[in-house]
Amino acid sequence: MAVTSDYVLPCGRDVEEVWEAMDLSDEHTRSCPHCAAVRESLLVLREATAEMAHEEIEPPFDLVSRIMSAVRADVRRSDVVPLPGDGLARISTRAIAALLRYAADGVDGVRARGCRVVEAPESTGTDPVIEVELSIAITGLLVTREAYDEVRRRVLAAASARIGVRLARLDLVVSDVLEG
Amino acid sequence: MSVAEAAALDDATLVARSRDGDTRAYEQLVRRYQGPMYRLALRIVGSTGDAEDAVQDVFLTAWRRLGQLNDDGAFLGWLYRTTTNQCLNVLRKRKPHADTELDEHESPAPRTRPDRAVEVSAQLDALQAALRGLTPEQRACWVLREVHGRSYDEIAEAIGTTQQSVRGRLARARAQLAEVMAPWR
Repeated sequence: MAVTSDYVLPCGRDVEEVWEAMDLSDEHTRSCPHCAAVRESLLVLREATAEMAHEEIEPPFDLVSRIMSAVRADVRRSDVVPLPGDGLARISTRAIAALLRYAADGVDGVRARGCRVVEAPESTGTDPVIEVELSIAITGLLVTREAYDEVRRRVLAAASARIGVRLARLDLVVSDVLEG
Repeated sequence: MSVAEAAALDDATLVARSRDGDTRAYEQLVRRYQGPMYRLALRIVGSTGDAEDAVQDVFLTAWRRLGQLNDDGAFLGWLYRTTTNQCLNVLRKRKPHADTELDEHESPAPRTRPDRAVEVSAQLDALQAALRGLTPEQRACWVLREVHGRSYDEIAEAIGTTQQSVRGRLARARAQLAEVMAPWR
């Protein structure tokens, strides 16, 4: 289907037809005064368009830093987990990690090391769920199944009682054994 | 990694790294494409302030939605679509009479010296003024095609219409612009 501009010249041709025939040697365009006039206007337009395409307008010098500040702030904001309720109150994963490390430290002979907290895929604003990877160092003589279970119990309890989020997965890794 | 090495990385690599949360990789993409997106926005919305805001929103939105981009190599086309959409939204929200408050960005007072270079720049000024007489969709179609060289397919997707409709809008835009440019023949 031919495209028309709905701008029809007195000779019956559409402006778009003249545009398409711009670089062709067309008998009608050469002899028709209406087409010739439009053709000249289109040539001016083509020239100005080429100039516009080569214009060197640069964005403000600080646009990149403004964009990246917004991106980094977004990264920081996304590093939070909703608190139970209307989903509007949030807690940073770093704050959760600090509380969980503190809970693990409460067990004799245990020192929490790294604690990585992420929001679980099934988490919602009304039912926040997290997954935690906690590495601990334990004092040699106290490497007992009981100590290990006690850490797990306290961390789970802290998540639900002190923060109010459900801990769906806790990976507990003994990363170091200290001299007793 | 040196700056030169980083600059040489292809879009797909930078997009994949950005999706993993690498903000430095994303910054490379921002540096690479802020210029064309800013110029596109400026030509569609007509004011430097709105263009800056639009481009900032586009890159923040793009960062948040990297996970939705299926083809990492299609980042640039996706940016063009997002920027066009953002600009059309800005224009829809703008009050009808606000067009009179547009910046006169690089549109200095008309120059009358019959100097060739000056004449061409005056033509460019005239074209910029003429663009404001188009509807926002016509202007977006025309700028994307004639100034930024995007495909009909891509423009149709950006505007949310068919290729045939894009061709129709372009034809009308061209006829209208040629009419305004007629005194410069």
